[in-house]
Amino acid sequence: MVMAFNVYESPALKFELVAKCNTTRARASNLTLPHGPVQLPLFMPVATQASLKGLTYEQLEQTSCRLCLNNTYHLGLKPGQETLDAVGGAHKLQGWDHNILTDSGGFQMVSLLELATITEEGVRFLSPHDGSPMLLTPEHSMSLQNSIGSDIMMQLDDVLVTTSPDAARMRLAMERSVRWLDRCIAAHKKPETQNLFCIIQGGLDLEMRKECCEEMVKRDTPGIAIGGLSGGEAKDDFCRVVETCTALLPDLKPRYVMGIGFPEDLVVSVALGADMFDCVWPTRTARFGAAVTRHGVLNMRNARFAHDFGPVETGCGCNCCLSVEKGGMAVTRAFVHHNSAKETVGAHLLTIHNVYYQLNLMRQIRESIISQRFPDFIKEFFGNLYEDKKDYPTWAVDALRRVNVDLMK
Amino acid sequence: MSNSNDSAPNGASKPTFTIGTTLPSDATDELCPRLGTLQLPGRRTIETPNFTAVTSRGVIPHLTPEVVSKYTSFSSAYIALEDFLEKKDHAILKMPTTDRPLHAFTSFPAHIPTIVAARRCPSVLAPAGNTAKNISIFTSTGFSTITVPKFAATVAHIRPDIVIALADLLHISLDPSLKKKIRMADRTESWMDEFLELVNADVRESAGIKVFAPILPIDHTTQWAYINHLNEDLSGDLAGLAIYDVNILPDLQLYKNLTSLPKLSLDLPKTPHDVLRQVALGVDLVLASFVNVISDAGIAFSFTLPTDGDISMDGDIGAIMPLGIDMSETAHATSLEPLLADCACYTCTKHHRAYVNHLLHAKEMLGWNLLQIHNHHVLSVFFSSIRAAIGRGTFEAAREAFGRAWDVDFPQGMGERPRARGYHFKSEVSQEKYNKPGWKGLESGQGVMADV
Repeated sequence: MVMAFNVYESPALKFELVAKCNTTRARASNLTLPHGPVQLPLFMPVATQASLKGLTYEQLEQTSCRLCLNNTYHLGLKPGQETLDAVGGAHKLQGWDHNILTDSGGFQMVSLLELATITEEGVRFLSPHDGSPMLLTPEHSMSLQNSIGSDIMMQLDDVLVTTSPDAARMRLAMERSVRWLDRCIAAHKKPETQNLFCIIQGGLDLEMRKECCEEMVKRDTPGIAIGGLSGGEAKDDFCRVVETCTALLPDLKPRYVMGIGFPEDLVVSVALGADMFDCVWPTRTARFGAAVTRHGVLNMRNARFAHDFGPVETGCGCNCCLSVEKGGMAVTRAFVHHNSAKETVGAHLLTIHNVYYQLNLMRQIRESIISQRFPDFIKEFFGNLYEDKKDYPTWAVDALRRVNVDLMK
Repeated sequence: MSNSNDSAPNGASKPTFTIGTTLPSDATDELCPRLGTLQLPGRRTIETPNFTAVTSRGVIPHLTPEVVSKYTSFSSAYIALEDFLEKKDHAILKMPTTDRPLHAFTSFPAHIPTIVAARRCPSVLAPAGNTAKNISIFTSTGFSTITVPKFAATVAHIRPDIVIALADLLHISLDPSLKKKIRMADRTESWMDEFLELVNADVRESAGIKVFAPILPIDHTTQWAYINHLNEDLSGDLAGLAIYDVNILPDLQLYKNLTSLPKLSLDLPKTPHDVLRQVALGVDLVLASFVNVISDAGIAFSFTLPTDGDISMDGDIGAIMPLGIDMSETAHATSLEPLLADCACYTCTKHHRAYVNHLLHAKEMLGWNLLQIHNHHVLSVFFSSIRAAIGRGTFEAAREAFGRAWDVDFPQGMGERPRARGYHFKSEVSQEKYNKPGWKGLESGQGVMADV
């Protein structure tokens, strides 16, 4: 009986709030999707083109990943909607029977294509294949994502860099995103098996964000995303947007902050009340030879690692770092250094490590929320990351102080 | 029928290599395919004939060690020492002395034996040839040289299971003069002696290293003195032969002390037809560098050795069958078929052609990874069929049937290959750019394409 107050159910999703932090706004919850349960807070690695950068699906599974991203824009180009329909969707295409989240394709139009123009109808752009003019509408995005069959689909939104000084254009984008959500809901053909999340826009203008939250929440989508961030805005502004939105969002729905992946950002965002995150950074930086560890990011191409025969991160439980006795590969920093940016295997090894690191960080966060140790965990986390408290980023210290955690104490 | 080679005086420096059935059994002086087992201490037993996979910088291209462990079953791995020698203080020499520093440094699966030679195979031609004391090598930071003592000391430290002693090979010209050839044989012989002095029986015993002697890719008459020296004086120190040109095999039959040694062919086969020819000549281990090349070309192996049933229907074989299928072809875009029907490899049981086709078009690294798993698997099955056919006495018939039924060459893969690195090739004057530029300005000059 009591549990029912903690549970939200919609046709293709069940959200169960497990615990709330007594100090911050952090939450731990269970999210059940069409392809199985995942535990929040959660980081989702990005398998842009239906493959996680050289890893086999067993290797991705072993990092404990049960929900990864595919990009609608990329899958729409290759292999294309026709192929996706013929094959039976992205799960079948890539042999992944866990969950997939897809973006709307709108963000890539803007980030990759200089020549995209946005009208009320949709996003107009030139095909990267043959330069012919194309149009991505909310209806088309839904149709593509229905073909992909993702467990969570995102609405097409009007994305504007948050730092844009044009308030009128920002308002237009926010209001248009609401109108496009209505068109997406109308065009969504499989609400029984696929979840459509709305995306809150409004730039850095907190009043506009509040207004957008109110309108979006009315549409009652099974999950809610905070979009338009991680586009170069000040971290302080970012935090204010997240905390403004989470304060207005219903307790019993997952909250997804798009495009966030630096470990500090994840920890602070969870404290501000967010549940889900995605970013290409951990996998991209792996290909450049960078290992994410609790003591910060280490560039394995640096000469100081050439003769370092320790694991990438001592105590790490990923298959790259684990000893052979424990079923791992016992890869050394020296060997990663030896092959970084040379053999593709060098990238695979760090990708395994970095994805594991991110997922494990979220697991630790979750456990600490449930056992009401999250504030201590935050302090430990920053203590591991920086030698000296005076190096702590001000934005993080300030944001955490607003949710009752004082890193300086 | 088995005759083991335990007559060798120095058992310690020999792996246990047992030759089983040789066929035809009534004509032992003639070249024939032979079955054997090669047991190296602490490693999985190798059934021969078999193939050796080729590494680049200590890894099978595109395969992490755990993938190698789980999804492949090749007999052994060829590792080039030059892949580890680019810096002054080579990391591999600083590796704490464990049981097997080379295995530990490369995280190579423990059950797979390593075979180390100085150079990659095929190797990049050096602009300057070898000298009496210095052997040219090509590292990721450019050309360098190595001496016999340095090679010996490195090998003794890193402890491969098998080392191929230094050979004075064709580093500049592919067709050297007779004078040059004679010098190649002379140098190889003196390097061999110097190497065995340094890596002597005690060193080999304590480090668990077996030595294979190189047989040069020059005619028999030019190197007979060297081979005779191996036969007369060194056979007890040798655990095998590394053959750079299989055409010399008929002449090697003359050397009785060498016939029982396992023969590793470094005469790189390009197709399974070449493989069958080498096996027919009595090769025990084949260096299969073509697997990596064909995988990078986006091609999935599709050949099998005909079984007895297939052979009987000779003369009535339908269309010539392709050795491989180009997975980048649009025809596979929506195909849910495995790469090869009834194939038991990870790729074929877990994925389908449509996915590999997509990965190749999207230039996703997983595509080459999956093809490597499949192709290494198909070749392992092929060798297992070869051994079965030899055992049944039907090898020659199977080889003929294979020659009739399968195409002579692999198809040209149209898929885009992975980026080549500096240590893969040497750029030459007015050579076409090997790698396509990853990004470029739009025609209007207004923007660039990034990868996400």
